[in-house]
Amino acid sequence: MSTQLLLGNDAIALGMVQNGCQVVTAYPGTPSSEILAGVVKFKKQLGREIYTEWSASEKVAFEVALAASWSGLRSATAMKQVGLNVAADPMFSAAYTGVVGGFVIVPCDDPGPISSQTEQDSRLLGLTAKVPVFDPSTPAEALAMVKDALELSERHRLPVILRPTTRVCHAVQSVEVNGSAQPFIPARPGFKKDPQRWAATPGFRLKLHHELNAKLAAIEGEFEKSPLNFISNLQSSISDQSEIRNQRLGIIASGVAFTTAQEALADFGAPVPILKIGTPYPLPRKLVTDFIAQFERVIVIEEPDACIELQIPDRTRVSGRLDGTVPNAGELSPEVVMSVLAEALDRVGVSVPPPPDDEALGAIIQSLKITPRRPRLCPGCSHRSAMYTMKHVFGPNAIYPGDIGCYSLGTNIRAIDTFVDMGAAVTMATGFYHAARFTDDKRPIVAMIGDSTFLHSGITPLVNAVHTGARFVLLILDNHTTAMTGAQPTPANDYSADGDLAAKIPIPDIVRACGVKFVRIADPYDHEPFEALLKEAQTFTQSPEGGVAVIVADRPCVLYDRAPITENPLPVVITEQCDGCRYCVEAFECPALVLRADKSRVDVDYRICVDCGQCIDACYKGFIVPKEAVGSMQ
Amino acid sequence: MERKLIIAGIGGQGVIYATKVLSQAALMRGERVMASENHGMSQRGGSVMSYVKIGGSDAPLIRRGTADALIAFDRVEAIRNLPFLRAGGSVFVNGADGLEPAVMTRLNELGIGVHAIAADARAKELGSAAVANLIVLGFAAAHDGLGLTLGDLKEAAQALGPARALALNLKALETGAGLAAPRPTLEWVGEGMT
Repeated sequence: MSTQLLLGNDAIALGMVQNGCQVVTAYPGTPSSEILAGVVKFKKQLGREIYTEWSASEKVAFEVALAASWSGLRSATAMKQVGLNVAADPMFSAAYTGVVGGFVIVPCDDPGPISSQTEQDSRLLGLTAKVPVFDPSTPAEALAMVKDALELSERHRLPVILRPTTRVCHAVQSVEVNGSAQPFIPARPGFKKDPQRWAATPGFRLKLHHELNAKLAAIEGEFEKSPLNFISNLQSSISDQSEIRNQRLGIIASGVAFTTAQEALADFGAPVPILKIGTPYPLPRKLVTDFIAQFERVIVIEEPDACIELQIPDRTRVSGRLDGTVPNAGELSPEVVMSVLAEALDRVGVSVPPPPDDEALGAIIQSLKITPRRPRLCPGCSHRSAMYTMKHVFGPNAIYPGDIGCYSLGTNIRAIDTFVDMGAAVTMATGFYHAARFTDDKRPIVAMIGDSTFLHSGITPLVNAVHTGARFVLLILDNHTTAMTGAQPTPANDYSADGDLAAKIPIPDIVRACGVKFVRIADPYDHEPFEALLKEAQTFTQSPEGGVAVIVADRPCVLYDRAPITENPLPVVITEQCDGCRYCVEAFECPALVLRADKSRVDVDYRICVDCGQCIDACYKGFIVPKEAVGSMQ
Repeated sequence: MERKLIIAGIGGQGVIYATKVLSQAALMRGERVMASENHGMSQRGGSVMSYVKIGGSDAPLIRRGTADALIAFDRVEAIRNLPFLRAGGSVFVNGADGLEPAVMTRLNELGIGVHAIAADARAKELGSAAVANLIVLGFAAAHDGLGLTLGDLKEAAQALGPARALALNLKALETGAGLAAPRPTLEWVGEGMT
């Protein structure tokens, strides 16, 4: 045993490696991305044989891991919460068919949302699909729960969800780690044919549904006795504050809301009993009902939605998200939990100290009008160059469907009008084109999608666009990596998750195979040829024989491959004539171009400037110039 | 002893590395650690902050009005995160100019000590702008603001690596500590003021 600092996602990864998972797959997405990287790290450290895969999408990841389970191996798959939407189809089916080797699905929820398009609750997707759910509060608990989840999955032959939230995934905790743990190696029977189950027709699916219900009933029975569900503060509740002794108030909590509530109650000196739920689905209803029966009022605190609360058979004494006692949107920050608990305690006559916020200080800070600095594309990012030229060619009126990735930040410079979900740039462009016939809309449509997103969910939409005769320009921003989530490889890279060689699938080949007749590859750093190409593409979409025109904007991400810039640097200076007109700051938005506090001019922040020289075109007055040019003038 | 620390800056300033150094230092002292990091979108030049709780509860976040110290690598991020501090807490901020006078007056009334250090300039002198974060950490440790000593931080930096940056990282921690004067509040260590 040793105590180590573990990131929540590393704790989950270590749990997978220590407990004998032999196939682990994932598609990157915040806050889940470090899990597969952790599995690669620990398998190398501990010398374990594990197949790891950055899959093309979450559905792919799910099914590859599922087949491993059907082959008798322990397996796992990780994704962000919206990724589970993509993998929902196989999950619903796999709940019916069941599994063989332990199979754990790790969808990482994002209350807030901090880096997602929704605040959806994967526990509720588990409930809908009838897949049991574990809900860890800390990295240490997540590590332990991986084992519990795998064993439950094997015992009942069901897929099982382990659902952390951002504050578990990205928490770092000192955790006791059993370094000598021998991996569990299950029997390896290989895939055993059983077409009635693995290829079940609708007739047999009804039988499987009955079987699934029976499994869930048995699991609920196990959860009634599970040490993952326990009452905290029960002993200490028989203490000084008489109102609490009379059991007027109880709390049910799970996930990070549990530790947050625990801390708040400790700070209040109000030891209200908390029923901590580690297994929110299927809810151990007897345990919960018996707990509620002891109190006049019970408040359920959970994230990001009402999974436990919805399953409580009798909610007469229960408050939570459903009646507005707990806010039904946004993260349950310590401040929110504290105010919910303070109000509840006040109702039972226990007064608590007011929050320690200093209002005067808050007012002074507010008067300074300080807002959080918004994320921006990095200095040297080729997406900025592509978008700047695109806007220059097509103007402010064109319709710009966008997609999910770093380039979503193009909204800052008004280069994106829509994003929906992975791949929607292509489908929304198709839909806008077909709708425009009825609205007599002649505006150009220019869609933008990244390399990883295109390979994830852009190919089928592109086939559909070509087949239906849609006409628009599609920019595939190919920076050779999944940049936003930390540079995971895509199928267009020649290496795999663990760094081994892998078959490279070139994006232009795929585009041509989708039936696209106009396919060009260009470096967005070369503004003039890139601009000419965009115009040519637009002409193609309007020509009689035209259709979808695809330009692959090819330039590696500056964070992970700076060689093309360092080999060919173009340092710039801003001349004395700069009048602080802000055009470059707003239209180009490079973090290294900084407007002076007195707004008199723009300076280059050379601490972060990468000498890409791309901003030379961002000053239409010609005040941003190559350093060499100035040198030669002197 | 429980300590609650907030680390704030902009993506790229090394907020996560500073968090790792503090967490590792506490771990090596045998203390319980619960820290929380920003990942993903906010790392793209946006505001970044992290929370470190030493010897405290398992809740990952720190409530406003309860932090013992705020370590900020950027002046604006320092001001934005001041509400996290408790009365009597401390701010350690990278910047030659300290904080806005209006803010300073109120902080003084709350007994919150403000310690400013021109870490960017010192980092440049050491040959790398990237170590400004460690200069601020060393500065804060020498003020006894972290419940961790300079020695603790140096051991943590050694354990974390990378080896090639170790000499520079240790020098940065020492430089910061060397600039800490034993005065309790309202003190500047910046250009023109020593």
